[in-house]
Amino acid sequence: MGHTSLEKLIRLQKKTSNIRNICILAHVDHGKTTLADCLVASNGIISTRLAGKMRYLDSREDEQIRGITMKSSAISLHFTSGESEYLINLIDSPGHVDFSSEVSTAVRLCDGAIVVVDAVEGVCPQVNAVTGALFTSKVLEERAVKEAELEGAVPEGEVPELSGGEQVYDWSAGLEETDDSHLYFSPDQGNVVFASAFDSWGFSIHQFAQIYCQKMGIRSEVLQKTLWGDFYINPKAKKIMKGAQSKGKKPLFVQLVLDNIWSLYDAVVTRRDKEKVEKIVASLGLKVMARDLRHSDPKVLLSAICSQWLPLSQAVLSMVCERLPSPSEMSAERVEKLMSVGTRRFDSLPEKTQQLKQAFLDCVSEDSAPVIVFVSKMFAVDSKALPQNKQRPLTQEELAQRRELARQRHAERQATSQIAEDPDSASAGGAQTATPTNNTNTDADALCAQTEALSVKPAEEEEEKKEHFIAFARVYSGVVRRGQRVFVLGPKYDPALTLRTLPEGCSADDTVPSVPHLACCTLEHLYMLMGRELEELEEVPAGNVLGIAGMEDFILKSATVSTSPACPPFTPLNFEATPIVRVAIEPKHPSEMPKLVRGMRLLNQADPCAEVLIQETGEHVLVTAGEVHLQRCLDDLRERFAKIEISASKPIIPFRETIIRPPKVDMVNEDLGRQQKVAVIHQAKEEQSKYHEGPQVDSGGLVNLTTPNKMATIGVRAVPLPEEATRLLEGSAELIRTMEQFSLFAREGKTLEISQKTLEQIQEFRTRLEGHLQGWKWRNAVERIWAFGPRRCGPNILLNGVEGYQRPSVWQCLEGEKEKPEAATLRDFDNSIVNGFQLATLSGPMCEEPLMGVCFSVESWEMKLAPQFTQQDSVEEETTSRQGSENSDNETRAAVSGESESGGSNEAEASSSSAGGQSRWRGDVTDCYGPFSGQLIAAMKEACRHAFQAKPQRLMAAMYTCEIMATAEVLGRVYGVLSKREGRVLNEEMKEGTDMFIIRAVLPVAESFGFADEMRKRTSGLASPQLVFSHWEVISSDPFWVPTTEEEYLHFGEKADSANQALKYMNAVRKRKGLYVEEKIVEHAEKQRTLGKNK
Amino acid sequence: MSIFTPTNQIRLTNVAVVRMKKGGKRFEIACYKNKVMSWRAGAEKDLDEVLQTHTVFMNVSKGQVAKKEDLAKSFGTDDLTEICKQILAKGELQVSDKERQTQLEQMFRDIATIVAEKCVNPETKRPYTVNLIERAMKDIHYSVKANKSTKQQALDVIRQLKESMQIQRAHMRLRFTLPAKEGKRLKDKLKPLLKVVESEDFDDQLEMVCLIDPGCFREIDELICCETKGKGSVEVLSLKDVEEGDEKLE
Repeated sequence: MGHTSLEKLIRLQKKTSNIRNICILAHVDHGKTTLADCLVASNGIISTRLAGKMRYLDSREDEQIRGITMKSSAISLHFTSGESEYLINLIDSPGHVDFSSEVSTAVRLCDGAIVVVDAVEGVCPQVNAVTGALFTSKVLEERAVKEAELEGAVPEGEVPELSGGEQVYDWSAGLEETDDSHLYFSPDQGNVVFASAFDSWGFSIHQFAQIYCQKMGIRSEVLQKTLWGDFYINPKAKKIMKGAQSKGKKPLFVQLVLDNIWSLYDAVVTRRDKEKVEKIVASLGLKVMARDLRHSDPKVLLSAICSQWLPLSQAVLSMVCERLPSPSEMSAERVEKLMSVGTRRFDSLPEKTQQLKQAFLDCVSEDSAPVIVFVSKMFAVDSKALPQNKQRPLTQEELAQRRELARQRHAERQATSQIAEDPDSASAGGAQTATPTNNTNTDADALCAQTEALSVKPAEEEEEKKEHFIAFARVYSGVVRRGQRVFVLGPKYDPALTLRTLPEGCSADDTVPSVPHLACCTLEHLYMLMGRELEELEEVPAGNVLGIAGMEDFILKSATVSTSPACPPFTPLNFEATPIVRVAIEPKHPSEMPKLVRGMRLLNQADPCAEVLIQETGEHVLVTAGEVHLQRCLDDLRERFAKIEISASKPIIPFRETIIRPPKVDMVNEDLGRQQKVAVIHQAKEEQSKYHEGPQVDSGGLVNLTTPNKMATIGVRAVPLPEEATRLLEGSAELIRTMEQFSLFAREGKTLEISQKTLEQIQEFRTRLEGHLQGWKWRNAVERIWAFGPRRCGPNILLNGVEGYQRPSVWQCLEGEKEKPEAATLRDFDNSIVNGFQLATLSGPMCEEPLMGVCFSVESWEMKLAPQFTQQDSVEEETTSRQGSENSDNETRAAVSGESESGGSNEAEASSSSAGGQSRWRGDVTDCYGPFSGQLIAAMKEACRHAFQAKPQRLMAAMYTCEIMATAEVLGRVYGVLSKREGRVLNEEMKEGTDMFIIRAVLPVAESFGFADEMRKRTSGLASPQLVFSHWEVISSDPFWVPTTEEEYLHFGEKADSANQALKYMNAVRKRKGLYVEEKIVEHAEKQRTLGKNK
Repeated sequence: MSIFTPTNQIRLTNVAVVRMKKGGKRFEIACYKNKVMSWRAGAEKDLDEVLQTHTVFMNVSKGQVAKKEDLAKSFGTDDLTEICKQILAKGELQVSDKERQTQLEQMFRDIATIVAEKCVNPETKRPYTVNLIERAMKDIHYSVKANKSTKQQALDVIRQLKESMQIQRAHMRLRFTLPAKEGKRLKDKLKPLLKVVESEDFDDQLEMVCLIDPGCFREIDELICCETKGKGSVEVLSLKDVEEGDEKLE
């Protein structure tokens, strides 16, 4: 097994029918990379001795340290089976949940897969996840695979203990088989390999059937059928009988196959019986090197014997070549699936595009065939690793030339240094005489190195500037050549559009008018991916996996590359894991911000699953699939992309504030009766001092507030919205925004065209909302809706309950009625009220988080206007200038006062813009309190806040739904972790036919940091959660709760020491935002350390 | 001179004295350290956790208890607890170490919050986070002065931060309308004060939208107000010119 030369591989690339593109899939730690190692070793790339230990395809440092694969990496292998030679493009994929995206990228490029299942652990959740991915991406037909896996596990239970080795089955499923039964994995179907990659042996039933059919005189077909399953051999009758388990006999498989392996293990590893080993070796007809025989570690001997007796790579690769389809046998169904994006049907694609299907199916490497390449991910490579920058072995002439050069310089240097050093050495004495010569030697060496470096330097300098991105791609049709001009099609590209605009038969070489999502680029370099190495190629024919350089400016994460503009973009990769772990990232030194931003951009490109975004608050947020993934992203940022010190802070957890109906029972489930517990108004003292007139709160929660200049009084009441209504509002944000736009246009006297479909949707939204708002309290509520908030489309409602005040409805677009000119002065200030409401809903009083599910009803609105105000039109001219100045004056003041609170900036900004806008067409009456509209906004906002506080307030936490698969043993621990993190189990069910339980639970996002990690630790990896954001949920505990009744005192103690979850969250947010937190500096006065150090 | 020996030296430990002068007399009460501020803020509700004893003293360290008649004369009551509460609320107090520390910390954070709100990264037009500003403030070794207002200090911090990082005050967006006559004349005067002119419209009157440094606002406002005798107008379009919404880095 010598090293396969590159030329040979290149030659093989052209024979499409002898190419196999496969990937290895399995649960984490089931030995994918070890298996890959064995296969790599068979090509002589690494030593067979190192196979299984080296993990050749784990090229990253952290992969090696942690012992898990983090990226998918490809390698091209050569395999000879009988007459024919095969090229196998092997892609190793990670097994960890966090890197499922990498699996998707790998799966997309393959035609088949090896699924590795550990005999001890059986089928694990990740296997289900990845096989699911296989099916959805149509690599395999959509059929069940589970049954066979079970069968496999039963008789094998005892194997691992005895053998001490790691047992791995491989199932390679055929792609083209349409018959149902062929899709099940089953050894007698011949699509299962029993193997131990660690000890490098592997076999299929077929192999043993061949051996025994001669020995026992039973037909090999019969053996193949019976060697697996509940059969035993009756030695007297020389017959194979059914029902081994019921009769307590050894199944055939155990007797004929496993016993042999066990005895080998027994002799070699357990008893270390030299003579028996020799006997076995002799009987198997193997030759074992004396060196291995003498080795002190029996494992070495074992693998030496096994790798000859039952070579793993042979078993696996021959099955791969036999069972898996070549790229030219792609099914039509898969092609259609690949070509039709989203919900679009294949038939709806333009005709020219449909013609391309044939190109897919043919998979020919002729020049006439259109080139179609899919790039599934971009990966960053150090510029040193690129073949063109690699130090090539020098030729003889070059060597001689350099030597000559070096010698010359050496001589020169020596001459000069002698002069310089003479006085030096004379003074230092004889002891130093040795050093100068040494010095000169190293000098010369350095010089040599310099001259060498010089030749590559200009190129290198350029390389250093940026990290190199290589596209991980596969050619589906045609031949890709270096330097070729191609179209790069983004995911949203529409071939139909282009075909209309572009001239017939245009190619990427022409200057093409700009078409959305279409770009042209040149393929700068093509590489064969060889694990850690890259081999430069001139051209790559169809059906091969390759790396392409020079696409980083055109492709973000994945794309389709083609020479034909008719080519549709391939369906985007679907990722099993959605990114959920958020962290805010900051550079250690603030001046390095630009570097960080650049680094994050690169990271985004290099990682298919990571998302980076800048939030409105200025935070740079990195969203990753899990904690391990996060760690990798941070390492990448630190060491490769940004090259600066960064710090990641805990993810920012969003909350919502809401109110609920007054509870009927107290904390110890005693009936509260008629006594109304009005919540303590938080910071009431502080806020009231700001206003001249404090709000008057009546027992029903109606808040009356007067503006500082005593011109207007507003009465506001807060009512909780029904849960379904909130959910509906949340889901219809888009519709509400459209409605808002319509009314905005209507106000300016224009009309906005809304499509019929949208109108219907709005109508439906309205009727559904009406359905949710039933009861006397909500009579006519939908009609009276004044606005939605925050940001004019949120899940809160402002109701118009002012008697005799008519305003255009928010449903204008439905009714189509024109706004009636309104004389009332109220109408002029309509906007102020709405703005006040928007501000109030944007940041609630509890911790300045947005409100949700709250309805504010304006019940009264009185204006006592100064007489001149009624004829404002005439006054307007004169006052504008004055107002302008005072107006803005006031705003700056408002901004200052706003800054004392944290949400200040937002609100001041909004108020200023709205106030500014109003002053233009209305003209405000100004007094010492600033413009009236501004006052009204502030008053409305305060009124809403107080109305909110008059009701029982609650925090809402974002919740994840979390699906956990766990075995029965660790079920208790799973529950332990869940309950510690305030999780709630929804249901738990046993999975048919396995001993796995599926637990569905909800978990607050706030508690999810480190959840997956803890879960894995506590259950020793037997349970793995998958988290998905689901909904907002009210936290039942009252953040302001203190014990009031006697029973509560008894139960909770005076200080209510038991942790209040809501309060904990609230204070954490307030602290983060720098708001006042009611906390004692020292809890127990007596327990302070009182003495100084030296007293 | 008394001899300081361990036996006759009484140290008041864990004591913070709150003093109040009333009716020409000085009254003191003995409190626990680090507790008086919490009481005043309302976080501590248990009086016994604040007061060492309910006794009112003339001098705590000497142990002189105030006379009953003095108390009655000055406070009009002889309920010691009530008097203690009054003194706690209004008396002058020694700020203890932890109280001072938390106060400074709070001010530090407050300053950072103000800076973060006022400033943007000029390249991206996005604000910096409070955390980052805090770190930058520590990097330049800014020390908080307890007796200066946080706003004043924040402006000082911005000036100092400019030397070490990319930061500037968020611009204000303004719109003026000036009558045509004065327009030309005023424009030259306004020019040096404006940072960026976004649009300029000159038909019957001059209408300009521009970005300015918030510090120049008053100047501009006065200029326009006086020069046009109330005919021109200034309108603030937005206080802070920042990017809004989340942006995906791509």
